[in-house]
Amino acid sequence: MRLVAHNMLQCHVKGCNSNNFPLQLSNVEIEIQETDFNPMFLRNILPKLEWNALVKTALQINITTLPNVLPDTSTDDLDDEFLKMLHRVLLETHIQQGKMICPNCNHVYAIKDGIPNMLLNENET
Amino acid sequence: MTKYFIQFVQSHEEFRLPELESLAKIENVKISYNREDYKKNCPFLIIEIDTEEEAIRLVKRAILIRNIYELWGTGKSYEEVHTRVKAKPERWPPYNYKSFKFTVSAFGSTCSSDYQVGIINTFAYLGFKGEINLKDPEVQFGVLEDYGLDPAPPTEPYMIYFGRLIASGNRDLIQTYNLKKRKYIGNTSMDAELSLIMANQALAAPGKLIYDPFVGTGSFLLTCAQFGSFTMGSDIDGRQIRGKTNRSIKSNVEQYHLRGKVLDTFVFDICHHPWRDNLWFDAIVTDPPYGVRAGAKTLGRKNPSKRSLTTKLIDGTPAYEEENSYPPTKPYEMSEVLSDLLEFAARFLVLGGRLVYWLPTVVDEYSNSDLPEHPSMRLISNSEQNFGQWARRLITMEKFKENIIGDRANIHNVKGLDNLSFVYKKKDVSPNEEEITNTKGKKKPGHYLFREKVGLVEI
Ligand SMILES: [Zn+2]
Repeated sequence: MRLVAHNMLQCHVKGCNSNNFPLQLSNVEIEIQETDFNPMFLRNILPKLEWNALVKTALQINITTLPNVLPDTSTDDLDDEFLKMLHRVLLETHIQQGKMICPNCNHVYAIKDGIPNMLLNENET
Repeated sequence: MTKYFIQFVQSHEEFRLPELESLAKIENVKISYNREDYKKNCPFLIIEIDTEEEAIRLVKRAILIRNIYELWGTGKSYEEVHTRVKAKPERWPPYNYKSFKFTVSAFGSTCSSDYQVGIINTFAYLGFKGEINLKDPEVQFGVLEDYGLDPAPPTEPYMIYFGRLIASGNRDLIQTYNLKKRKYIGNTSMDAELSLIMANQALAAPGKLIYDPFVGTGSFLLTCAQFGSFTMGSDIDGRQIRGKTNRSIKSNVEQYHLRGKVLDTFVFDICHHPWRDNLWFDAIVTDPPYGVRAGAKTLGRKNPSKRSLTTKLIDGTPAYEEENSYPPTKPYEMSEVLSDLLEFAARFLVLGGRLVYWLPTVVDEYSNSDLPEHPSMRLISNSEQNFGQWARRLITMEKFKENIIGDRANIHNVKGLDNLSFVYKKKDVSPNEEEITNTKGKKKPGHYLFREKVGLVEI
């Protein structure tokens, strides 16, 4: 699972409606897989992300390259260097194994071979 | 505007105009044609486009268009055609010294090579002095005769079209994505041609994010990514996503070199999904299970009173953490699938984003007013693929206004579908067989594309 996807998901256990994002990474195995740089997609997705959550999550896996404040995304002139750095963080950084833990209800979601299992048990839906 | 004519494939007829319209939208090309000129039983359509460059762009990713020609002349007889061609001699000089090729073909009939040569010779007045080059000509001209689809073709064509070949569609992609060449498929994998058409209907394009909430073995992740979109998918059945060693969605992504575009797959139930509220998706492309196929289930037990109140443990680990755990499921009624899908789309699609999905119908009972509705979604197209007693329809909808919390899908017209007294079984689909080529190499409209067998089984 890429970090971009991690930013899109929250805990969905029944009744867990606040402080349920971002899911905290634990015991994770990270892999970098290089792919083609695509500024169009980054410009599309960037304004939709929760920047603070991204910075916080990145720090959990020792990525310190993200600025604390997201530069203005309303203009088209986000510089390429910044976008390339984001490309590395959002699209090339994969969580291959590990756990995501809800900060609110402590529910644990397992990630195995890069695929998160977010199925809930029947008493949780 | 200049007149062109399109040569469609003679199959998936109800999908041809919707695809053409989608391509015009993707490429931002203004097209104009007379809706009454379009006939299901004819592969030709005259269309006006501003420039040649736009005509090329229009068809470059078309699946159901073979070719587009600049129209030089058309008519019910060669006399008429020649009169029209001769009316515009200013068109000819650019091709005077180019290497060229002439083709003559007949839709709904055959023509001998002597006949073809005879026809080509009637165009001698064009006076082209370049060499004839059959393999790699600089310019190609086509004479296309339409004899229609009657079992006994008329002696003279209904219509003759003559023009300069401008560009061809992208039907080679059907072979590229052929299921027979794909490493990992399941019994629900959609055939390549329809998967590609769906990507066009979704307006898949570079930089977009497209999602399949019933991803299965991931056919649409591939075809949407083929056109530059980034894709994600989820499924309640993780076994389909993971596949087996070396055969999985991941191995397909590697096979097609789409690793940078197919972003992620997740295991969860779309009824209880973990997406944060946002307009994440530019399109949703899916083939919902509708309770008639493998995995057509939603989390939960049929009888709620039997719910277990504690988390089941397997060797001390909660069951949901076990890789192979597949939670209790219950049938997912068709009306529930549809309302979940439309409401999800209304909530998570960007404005202008599209929902492209399949709807199975009983042919005798179907009426257009049966289609599911949602206040934020409008119908773009509805194309039937007929299997005799039942059919499936590719529905394309567009989110045209913002979703209001509490807005519900209107599925009441489909309530009869939950009582469908049959299930359908799919056998393997053989792609790209809509034409048979006879021994002389002339094309002839053939049997219908699908060998898909329909098994009618009483429930
Ligand atoms: Zn939670």
